Amino acid sequence: MFQADIARENIMEGNSMERKMSGEGKIFQGEVQFAVKVDSLNKSFTRWQRKENILQEGNNSAKENNSQRKRIFGKEKIKNIFRQEKKTVTALDNVSFRVRRGEFVAYAGPNGAGKSTTMKLLSGILKPTAGSVSVLGMSPEKDRIALMKKLGVLFGNRTELWWDHPVIQSFEWKKVVWDIPDAVYRRNLDMVTELLDIGGIRNTFARELSLGQRMRADLAMMLLHSPELILLDEPTLGLDVVAKRQMIEFLKRINREEGVTILVTSHDMDDLEEMAQRILMISGGKLVYDGSFDGMREITGNLTHFTVTTDGRKPELEGCKLLGGKSGVFEFEVDLSCRPMKGLLERLSQADGVMDVEIRKAPIEQVIAQLYQDWKSA
Amino acid sequence: MVDNNEERAFCGRKKSHKSQEFRERKETRGKKVFNGAKRYIELLRIYAKMDLASLMRDRAFMAIVITADIISNISSISGIFLLAWKFGGIGGMDRFEVLFMLAYGNIVMGFLNMMGGCNALFPSRIIGRGQWEHMFIMPLPYAVQLTVGIFPFTGSSSLLSGIAMLWAAVYHMETVLPWWWLGMLLFQLFISMVIVVAASYLFSSLAFYAPVQCEEISSTVIYSMDHTRNFPLSGMPLYIRYPLLTIFPAGLMAWFPTMILLGKTTTPENFYPAIFALLISFASAYFFRKGFGYYVKKGINRYVSGGHRS
Repeated sequence: MFQADIARENIMEGNSMERKMSGEGKIFQGEVQFAVKVDSLNKSFTRWQRKENILQEGNNSAKENNSQRKRIFGKEKIKNIFRQEKKTVTALDNVSFRVRRGEFVAYAGPNGAGKSTTMKLLSGILKPTAGSVSVLGMSPEKDRIALMKKLGVLFGNRTELWWDHPVIQSFEWKKVVWDIPDAVYRRNLDMVTELLDIGGIRNTFARELSLGQRMRADLAMMLLHSPELILLDEPTLGLDVVAKRQMIEFLKRINREEGVTILVTSHDMDDLEEMAQRILMISGGKLVYDGSFDGMREITGNLTHFTVTTDGRKPELEGCKLLGGKSGVFEFEVDLSCRPMKGLLERLSQADGVMDVEIRKAPIEQVIAQLYQDWKSA
Repeated sequence: MVDNNEERAFCGRKKSHKSQEFRERKETRGKKVFNGAKRYIELLRIYAKMDLASLMRDRAFMAIVITADIISNISSISGIFLLAWKFGGIGGMDRFEVLFMLAYGNIVMGFLNMMGGCNALFPSRIIGRGQWEHMFIMPLPYAVQLTVGIFPFTGSSSLLSGIAMLWAAVYHMETVLPWWWLGMLLFQLFISMVIVVAASYLFSSLAFYAPVQCEEISSTVIYSMDHTRNFPLSGMPLYIRYPLLTIFPAGLMAWFPTMILLGKTTTPENFYPAIFALLISFASAYFFRKGFGYYVKKGINRYVSGGHRS
């Protein structure tokens, strides 16, 4: 409920922003680069109808139950072959949010929550069943061609590179198709070659690149037309630590230095926290959180981890959960909303044999996992 | 009087202003068309350049591929031609008229294959394989994206063998051809290509609803038409000829246009391929748009409940 309230507040804030944009009240506070408002996107598919507990076990004999089961299951099987149940799945339900110019926003949620659907809506690949989508002041559906000249889209699980050509050939192809002026192309090519370190792979065939190299080349290609807004769907998917770091640093840099607005989805929450200033959480097609990462920690009860180093004795701390302990180093988890820090420090100072204390925030992965679990059980 | 003069002067200014506006609009439109054509040529050039690069990368290999293609094209029609040679023609067509028909079909398919670099001839593949999502993010109209992907160097073997065979057939034919005949030939070739493409897009519309099951439906349609078009339909019973000119228009890919070009049809019959092309194009555009509307509304779910066929 709490998360839903926060989401509602944020949505209301978004609505007031829209009013400001439309000129109601004549208040203009900064230029909003793109606005998204999607209401109830429906996506339908058919699936086999399964009926559980169709057999009412009564006082019948085992033989009678068996024959009844066979008869009913047989009937159901035949029915399933000829009459499938058509179930409508709502991929996005009344999702609204606004992203300002130069923001770096993370878009997260569990599998099947509607992240990729949102990305497809923003890039015009899908049309909302109801509601409106505005990207850079344009409708992705109606102004596709004009919008694509200003938008960069990268799906981590697919490539835009020509498979049977060297990387540089794909870049040249992009220059012609996107009609990029010579000067802009040369400047951007030099920039991405240096920042993404792709000088050594420019003449390599796309099919011969490793996943990390391919992602770097794809990212470089996406930036050649100087997009004002970048949509990244799982850009760090399958990358090793070095490649991931390189990509994160690069994205942060172009966001900071070039002012490019970025909306990124990923399952790696630590990466998202490092990159983005704001996170939008989606679950079951609904926007459940819009705010900072710290704010999200507070929702889950302000979980904090701390490590206590002792002379070997185990400290007894009420209200703290012991996560593990070995050779005098003990790790605890505490919910600071239930057990204030002041009391905790007092208790630690009185404990015997305490030599050192290290306090840090709970990993965002754990916070998210707890949220997912809460939503699932709700 | 003064008022009238002023009114006339005002009307004159208004008229000249309007004509200036009209001129400017015309110039802008002209400029737009010119820029559009220039850009289209640039796009063709980049695809042609990429094709040439593929050819030059491994010349020996590509030479083998092109030679094999030419041999394959000629052998695929040699059976019919040898029968015509042996029996002095088939169904009222002499042996070189049969060769003309076979060459005509090869040019139709050869040209389409050369232009089909981006699977433009097989849209069900684009839909079924999710390639349309790449097309969405390109700042070009879909029609342009589909028609600029040419293979002029590596994909023109069928076209070249067709042109060579057509030249040999015309050279040996006894018919005297009028001066406007070449224009007629080009027009008929265009009509035949429109029919093939429209049939492919018409059936490919189904792929929007069942992407996996219908992924190859366009190639099934085109290849079955391609295999059937080699048979001269002259002398065939009507219950065979009519379906091949209507519901499964393989007869319009080579045989019927050949009859028109050889002057063996009546005047009303001469208009039939063009009318058919128009009708099938409208039907194809209607159903393809409808399917496309479904696609952007529902998305393409490759793994729908199609059992093992998914």
